[in-house]
Amino acid sequence: MNKKLTPRYVIIGLVLLWAVYSLWPTVQLQTLSEAEVETMREEGNYGALESKAIKQGLDLKGGMYIVLEVDLPALISNLALNRDEKLNQVLKDVTEKMDQPEADFFVLLTQAVTDHKLRLLRYYHEYGSSIDEIITNLKAQADDAINRVLEILRNRVDQFGVSEPTIQKQGEHRIIVELAGIQDPERARALLQSTALLEFFLVKDAEVTNDILTRIDKVLKGSQSLEELAEETEPEDSIIVGEEADKETPVSDDKTISVSELFGETEADITDSAVVDQRLFEDRPFSALLRNFGTDIGIPEKNVYAVKKIINMPEVQEKLNAGNGQFLQSNESEQITNIDGQQENIFRLYYLEKEPELTGGVIEEANERLGSQVGGQPVVLLDMNNEGAKEWARITGANIGRRIAIVLDKKVHMAPSIREKISQGGTQIEGFADMNEAKDIAIVLRAGALPAPVNILEERIVGPSLGADSVKKGTLSVLVGLALVLLFMLFYYKIAGLIADFALIWNILLVLAVLASLQATLTLPGIAALILTVGMSIDANVIIFERIREELRKGKSPKTAIDGGYARALTTIIDANITTVIAALVLYQFGTGPIRGFATVLFWGIVISMFTAIFVTRTIFNTLAQRKGIQRLSI
Amino acid sequence: MRLIKETHIKFMDQRRFAFILSAVVILAGLGSLVFQGGPKLSIDFKGGTMIAVTFNEEVDITQVRTSLSLVNVEGQTFDLSKEEIKSFGDPSNISIRISHQEDEPDNFAQSVINHIYKTFPEIVPPEPKDFILSMEKVGPKIGSELRGKAIMAIISSLALILLYISIRFEFRFALGAIAALVHDIVVTVGIFSILGYEISLSIIAAFLTIVGYSLNDTIVIFDRIRENVKKRQRDSYAETVDHSINQSLSRTVITSLTSFLVVLILWLFGGEVIHGFAFAMIIGVVVGTYSSIYIASPIVVQLHASTPTK
Repeated sequence: MNKKLTPRYVIIGLVLLWAVYSLWPTVQLQTLSEAEVETMREEGNYGALESKAIKQGLDLKGGMYIVLEVDLPALISNLALNRDEKLNQVLKDVTEKMDQPEADFFVLLTQAVTDHKLRLLRYYHEYGSSIDEIITNLKAQADDAINRVLEILRNRVDQFGVSEPTIQKQGEHRIIVELAGIQDPERARALLQSTALLEFFLVKDAEVTNDILTRIDKVLKGSQSLEELAEETEPEDSIIVGEEADKETPVSDDKTISVSELFGETEADITDSAVVDQRLFEDRPFSALLRNFGTDIGIPEKNVYAVKKIINMPEVQEKLNAGNGQFLQSNESEQITNIDGQQENIFRLYYLEKEPELTGGVIEEANERLGSQVGGQPVVLLDMNNEGAKEWARITGANIGRRIAIVLDKKVHMAPSIREKISQGGTQIEGFADMNEAKDIAIVLRAGALPAPVNILEERIVGPSLGADSVKKGTLSVLVGLALVLLFMLFYYKIAGLIADFALIWNILLVLAVLASLQATLTLPGIAALILTVGMSIDANVIIFERIREELRKGKSPKTAIDGGYARALTTIIDANITTVIAALVLYQFGTGPIRGFATVLFWGIVISMFTAIFVTRTIFNTLAQRKGIQRLSI
Repeated sequence: MRLIKETHIKFMDQRRFAFILSAVVILAGLGSLVFQGGPKLSIDFKGGTMIAVTFNEEVDITQVRTSLSLVNVEGQTFDLSKEEIKSFGDPSNISIRISHQEDEPDNFAQSVINHIYKTFPEIVPPEPKDFILSMEKVGPKIGSELRGKAIMAIISSLALILLYISIRFEFRFALGAIAALVHDIVVTVGIFSILGYEISLSIIAAFLTIVGYSLNDTIVIFDRIRENVKKRQRDSYAETVDHSINQSLSRTVITSLTSFLVVLILWLFGGEVIHGFAFAMIIGVVVGTYSSIYIASPIVVQLHASTPTK
């Protein structure tokens, strides 16, 4: 071998060794049987091997990608020492403006505070004495909050048991969560989004509840928005009941309730239900949406939205605030068969004290169990710390006979009557659909409550079957595309084509090796880029070969033709490829997820093709040309 | 073997015809865009929900549509029968594209999936997890952010390319190249609009790849022009350009052929997820090759004619 060529072969050899070394874990991983994977997991080696292999994007292995944003208006509202209509209005304004892209919450807040002439000191005097100081400190609080959210979410996901979850901060107030191979997206979503705010509220007694319903009905009667609401409400439950009655259809008494009937102080003479129904809706627009449900108030599922809307009306809120109370709904509906023989889902509605007696901060341990009662309902057992246990004993002792609602994330799980003082701090929550739900709730309670709610801004789920399908089709496309191009080159350029083919295969191997060592993720668009690389990186060799052919046509010797061809082609190839590299870099900069995967592969594909198509093929050509007696090139 | 023998095609003489052809295609595309009130944007840019689900057997889209006319989510009712419902790759798969709904609850998308799952109990997979192929939900805020980013990406890549070519060649080459790139993007967007295909994030990636590819092609020709201008002082500029295109024609055809081949394979075998991307690339490879010869080069010739020679 010629001395001048030796260093070239050494470089090529080293690169090849490196490529094999980088790709080895990926090959190992692909060839493992399921049993072997299991053994490796047990020995704890699997993670190490997996981290060295090429990662598959969520679009290939299936999974869930969620962008969460900390609800800053809610956080800031929580931080306020007192809240009123004016502060709420300002925060509402800011929330609306937050819909614009790249909106910065604190800039908008400062602006809104100035616009509304809101005296921040009134609400946040603990955080400073000037607007700027308060805003700066609130910002620090927000930063702190998002870091806590991040940590709590990590904790939850870890306990949930997902392999290799990615949970990271994006920008200032967003969190990206990537969970591979999620089987039940609904469950995962609940796990991430649950604020895990556990509160214990006393339930107000019947007279007070009765009174507030009457007040709300009165408020609504005078309200403009009532007509709108009547249109939105499912008519069969309220309005049409009256019309049906006009047609002399018998209508049950249970279908609607009168408030007094509900609480057993019947005064109203319900002899003709039709008239009552008709009058009921006109007189008592709120109560008409509700049902008598045991000793509680029930809301048929169809009316839930309307009830929520009424409760959130400012004038209704005003009444609730005045009475120091709030309405909360049960977490799950119960199915009953009504008098018409139809299945109906009913939620319970509770009227509670406004301030909780105790919150979940005192929870030390939470575990899911099957309850001891018949049927073995899933329950979550809570253990409180010393302080909490003392407080709990005091509350339960002072309120024997009253009901206490156990509320998680503003939904009432149960509202048992307090029979006796509970002194150990142990308690249990019921009302779960299944064991999984109880388990998830125990996880979120252990991991602690989020300092503020989080909203889902973006969510992408790829099911396992679609992912597997993409892998299959992507691989097929790469192989077929590669085979066609290899055959074409061989056919068109003969031996030179063979050299180019060799370079092309090498190109792909090197790209994969780079991906593995960069721990980059291979996505479906990444596979597309790999195929594009096959088509486009062959261009360098085509340019060179066409040049060599031109030189040969001019009657030059193979050696001079090769030298001339490579020399002339070089600037062209570099100029042409740099532009694609620019496009790839821009894509990487602006894209996320799969698009980045595309940009990464495209970039390395082009860069590496310059090495393989110029350096490697040149070395082989020179070796051939230096063999004595070579008269013609096979090109 | 030689596919393209030595050619002497007078490309520059055909440029008037090429301009007319391009103008017709572009006008048709623009007409369609105006008629439809802009390009059809995917949920990536508009916000909304995209659901793809699989059934055990072929499913009647009209039935699915009817079932979606009343979807109840926590007491709130939605009429989704007017949303876009179509088959997704295979007749037993369907995709539903729902625009952003007012007062949309958090679990809206999941509720819609559950609704369909319950409505067709006989033909859905036994496990709900096998029912979902994919689900995407993009909030309106993220949508407009992505829109801004995509536009920035295209503009900044064009600006960078303009800069690069201005440095490596001359400014008029840069103008010719940029004109060709804009031509490629406008034609592709127009064809997408005419065919009613939507523009998603991956299509933007395809656009930028087309930009890179088309430019690659253009620069190979420009490089020849630059080389030949020095050598062939006696020929007219147009003749030199023609000669350069002819010289590199063999390479142009072969590279376009291999690139076309691979994107065609991708389009045929790559699956539904990548279908739109592959289609954009097919158009891009064809249009990009064409524009290097018939748009970029003639503009350089025109600009040369209108600037006094030194």
